[in-house]
Amino acid sequence: MDLFTALQAVVNGLLTGALYALVGMGMALIFGVMRIVNFAHGAFMMLGMYAAYVLFVHAHLNPYLSFPIVALVMYGLGHLIYMGLLRPIHGQSDFMQILLTLGIGLAITDGIQLVFGADYHQINFPLLEKNLHVGSRITVNAPWVVSFGIALVVGACLYFFVMHTMMGRAARAIAQNRYAAPLMGIHLHRVQAFWFGLGVSAAAVAGSLLLPVFYLYPGVGDQFTLKAFVMVVLGGMESIIGAAMAGLLLGVVENLTSLYWGNEWALAVDFVIFLLVLSLRPSGIFGRQKA
Amino acid sequence: MKRLAAWILILGLPAAVILASCTGGSEQSNTFKIGVVTSLTGPSAAFGQAHKNGYTIAVADLNAKGGVLGKPIELVYYDDQGRPDQAVQGVTKLVDQDHVPLILGAYTSENTRAIVPAITQKNVPFIIPTAVADNVMETGSPWVFRVCEGSGAYARATVDFLKNNGDPKTMAIIYENTNFGQSNDKSMREESQKAGITLVDEEAYQASSPDYKALLQRVKAKNPEVIYFGSYLLDASTLMRQSAEVGLNPRYYTAAGTGFSAAEFPTKDKGAGANAEYTFSVSQWLPSARWKGSKEFDDAFTKLTGAHPTYHAMEAYAALLVAVTAIQKAGNAEPAAIRDAIRGVSMPETPFGPIHFDVRGQNVHPVLITQIQGGEYKVVWPREVAEAQPILPTPPWNKRQR
Repeated sequence: MDLFTALQAVVNGLLTGALYALVGMGMALIFGVMRIVNFAHGAFMMLGMYAAYVLFVHAHLNPYLSFPIVALVMYGLGHLIYMGLLRPIHGQSDFMQILLTLGIGLAITDGIQLVFGADYHQINFPLLEKNLHVGSRITVNAPWVVSFGIALVVGACLYFFVMHTMMGRAARAIAQNRYAAPLMGIHLHRVQAFWFGLGVSAAAVAGSLLLPVFYLYPGVGDQFTLKAFVMVVLGGMESIIGAAMAGLLLGVVENLTSLYWGNEWALAVDFVIFLLVLSLRPSGIFGRQKA
Repeated sequence: MKRLAAWILILGLPAAVILASCTGGSEQSNTFKIGVVTSLTGPSAAFGQAHKNGYTIAVADLNAKGGVLGKPIELVYYDDQGRPDQAVQGVTKLVDQDHVPLILGAYTSENTRAIVPAITQKNVPFIIPTAVADNVMETGSPWVFRVCEGSGAYARATVDFLKNNGDPKTMAIIYENTNFGQSNDKSMREESQKAGITLVDEEAYQASSPDYKALLQRVKAKNPEVIYFGSYLLDASTLMRQSAEVGLNPRYYTAAGTGFSAAEFPTKDKGAGANAEYTFSVSQWLPSARWKGSKEFDDAFTKLTGAHPTYHAMEAYAALLVAVTAIQKAGNAEPAAIRDAIRGVSMPETPFGPIHFDVRGQNVHPVLITQIQGGEYKVVWPREVAEAQPILPTPPWNKRQR
């Protein structure tokens, strides 16, 4: 296989990886601020897909335009879920939080199944058939390029938010020391609700960007929860830029594995990397090594 | 339909009244219960729904004729969610709690294979409508019967078609890494070898992934004349869309049915749309089949769902038909008696064609080759039943009308 084929796989990997990155960033945000592994993350992503689907079918809005609406609605939902469900168990054991997020995920998946049924759906608009040629050897599918661009902008905004706003500083303060931060006048629950909402929203945006090139059914998000978890660990648990890089890395590694070894190895390689990082560099590839 | 509604009223109302007046607790029920395990939810829900529609029509038809052993038929569904562990649990539940004397199912080969040991242990007859992996029949269990043909027959039919239509020399197999895909890969490996076709690539893949482009690039680099897919519907759509993206241009796209033969596959809303055009697939039945009752089934199905049925719904219909015929013949609801009756069943005229089971419990059934032409499945092989000439070679993606 020649260089161009490999290059094509890398390009495709980056395009897929950008969506992974957004899902991973959402989970990293939530973990960083709240120390919760959000096992409902894939379910929120799926919910974002359904929201985009409903907007497409009833308002004829293409997901590449409707994603801000999805983001806003899902932010609101995330906020409510934090206030109603997560806040009451604040300070309790990790086990409670795992059970709760798992439960929220199941409730969302089954709720969607009750409302929309188990049948799958997909959407169609003319852009989906469009392929762009870069030079004579590299081909990219237009919708993936669009989603890549949007994911990049949304990801950059998230990063900017964390680094350069008051809310971001408050979040980082909580991440550094969750006991000292409230003593410095940070309203713990307000900040956590905000970032939980934003994390959920990032997953939902990734979902609505994926919808045009994929399909949806209630269980569609499950595989992404696990992927997001892998990204967060690779990225160094609380680093959102680390999770984003890990997302891109996973996309490229999956594509190259698929190209050289075969698709059945792609998932296995993900987890081999995951295990290697966990055992050799527990703070993540991109995380700072703690003394 | 009016008559059907009238019959349902006549039979249904008293049944409902009697049921309502029963305070429960009695083992003696007023319906004849038959168990069904299928995938009503999860990634294979489209096929589970096809099963259910087929069964619904069969129940209406059979109950209109008086049900079985003087009772109306009631199907007890268990949704396996597409998961083998759930399918096994379904067998336990249906036998131990609902006391059904016979089970139909499951949809996928994976789940069906998982069920077989449980069935054998519970000693209830099991009729398989759609699972094509040949290993579901290879345990030697006397309780297992299959209405549909299997992966071996699929591979033979496809190779026969290829040999007589251009005689290609190289092939790649792309298959889902589950029982269904693996069996089709194994069968095609054997058949292609016998026919002197060189296998240049065998690619297993992880189902429900959003991205198969690297896999397709890999196949493209091996430049096969034929591609043979073993895929369910959702992946079939993704694979064809991304084949267009990657510019994968074999002379023949062929497939082991399933995703490539679903009613939804050539549609724009629920399948691959125009990307499905020209693909070949095996099929076991089409609404245009020459069997008596095919057209009536097509009409009833269209009335029920608004779309034409594919063979998955018909196979479910046929499986229930076999079950009821056998129970009637056995004259009681004893599983062993029903099993012996199924073994001796001879139904020369059903909408699915003649049905009888060989020593393995397999119904030998003709396999057709179809091609999607103008968004519709057309039978193109065997020649004596062909509705259209195959269009060959498959036009490359950049030469297709968009």
